[in-house]
Amino acid sequence: MDITILLLMVAASVGGAVLYTIIGVAPGTDETAVLAPVTLALVLLEVPPQVVLAFFISAIVAKKLTDSIPVAIAGIPGGVMAAPMVEHAMVLKKYGLPDVSIRKMASGSVIGTLVSIPFSVLVASLIIPYAEAISAHSGLIFFLGAVFLALMSSSKFLSLVIILPFALLIQGLRQLYWDTGIVPPETTVFVSFFLGITIGPIIFKLFELTNKESRNSSQILGFKEISLKKPKPVKGFPNPFSILTKQEVGTSALTSALGTLTFFLSPVGMTIFLGESLTRHIKDPVKRASRAISSMDGLTNAAYLSGTLIPLLAIGLPLSPMAIGPANALFNAPPILTPENNIHHILSMGEIIFASVVGAVIALFITFYATIKYSNEICSFVFKYIPHEAMIGLFAGLVVMLAFMDAGWVNIFGVILIALVSGLLHRYGVNYGVMFMILYAAPWLLGVVGN
Amino acid sequence: MEKRNDIFYDVWGDNVSLKDLLISMIASIAGTLGGYLLAPNDQPLPLIFGLVGGIVAFIICSFIFKPKRHITKEEEVDS
Repeated sequence: MDITILLLMVAASVGGAVLYTIIGVAPGTDETAVLAPVTLALVLLEVPPQVVLAFFISAIVAKKLTDSIPVAIAGIPGGVMAAPMVEHAMVLKKYGLPDVSIRKMASGSVIGTLVSIPFSVLVASLIIPYAEAISAHSGLIFFLGAVFLALMSSSKFLSLVIILPFALLIQGLRQLYWDTGIVPPETTVFVSFFLGITIGPIIFKLFELTNKESRNSSQILGFKEISLKKPKPVKGFPNPFSILTKQEVGTSALTSALGTLTFFLSPVGMTIFLGESLTRHIKDPVKRASRAISSMDGLTNAAYLSGTLIPLLAIGLPLSPMAIGPANALFNAPPILTPENNIHHILSMGEIIFASVVGAVIALFITFYATIKYSNEICSFVFKYIPHEAMIGLFAGLVVMLAFMDAGWVNIFGVILIALVSGLLHRYGVNYGVMFMILYAAPWLLGVVGN
Repeated sequence: MEKRNDIFYDVWGDNVSLKDLLISMIASIAGTLGGYLLAPNDQPLPLIFGLVGGIVAFIICSFIFKPKRHITKEEEVDS
């Protein structure tokens, strides 16, 4: 391997780990919204694919390790995936053990990473024989994926009913752009629609707040109260295997393996389901909470990695909630990467595994160490100095620029339209996965329905 | 509506002031889109300029706006 590429991979992984250690702590940040645009930008800048992949893997491992810090210290989830852990972390916080919480969660994450990478390779090699058949029917499979995720969601009826109208919205806008010559017939606008769905809940909320009545009814007086509990300092380099008890290691490894096998399911759903059912039998509240958070953190990490790696290794199409969401740019970022020519096709299996291992190992070293040693300092810094407004502003800026880049001024309004619709749907329980699947299935679906 | 300067709204999981948010969004969009449009038309320079513009806007906004969070420290855990 070229030594420059290797150095670039290491540099990108370090950058990803540091950046997403900070972003991970910030409250409320959604994985797709914070990972997808940055990864996309790297791909479009023609950064070598190995380097992008190492960056991405390092970023998710780091983000996953740190989004549980604010849960432990302040009871605020640092991301969507950390939400199921709040209840258990609050138990530990109540007993004055936020440091235990952080160490158990971070160690669970490490186990999740260690289990899921080799296990993903194994699962991928079992799928490879069927890869061609899967790719040949991708439209149908994405449609079935939408139906499947709809049935798994909390709002089944709405999620099913919305499939065709939402596909119409997407293909309708594309057709309009083609007919008016805004984009040439061979260009399919994808990225900005994708980001429109991602930023939907924010845009919908903002439009809602332009109405005086809803503004009055949803106002909050005063600052958000956050109480930080300073954890006990740790000496030396932390060892995840001595932080966790034998049972905790076992349960975390088990949930991580199951999370890898169910890579095509919704990670949040699996986390709640497995995390609760495997710890229900434990009576002691502290023991139960620490078993729950370590195994849940292991599982989310494993679901993230396997959801990215298995489709990447075996199929080359984003056939998991993770791949179709945060990792989407690795599969589809036209004109650099397309579903026919993406990281799956460009890199060999060995190169994909190597880049992933580099990213994961670097992120584990930097972020695991920082998490255990400086969780309080990182948390205080982010809470004190990073205003939420600036962060929302930055994502809005990125989306507007990428919308303009895709199809000019008109598309900024097209993306606002998609964002409003998806924000409304998201509010009523249609999850991102369903909408992303529809985005992919739309051309096939209207081809079938239109005839 | 009475005039109070501590009226906030929950957007994306945290308290924000609408005025600050509006300014941040305008500044960031001006940064990204401005950078993109002003850059020399030579791929991928527009994208780089746009990203840099966005990051500059983010840093400026982080300095002028304060987070709407009130942090209290609980006493140290002895365990």
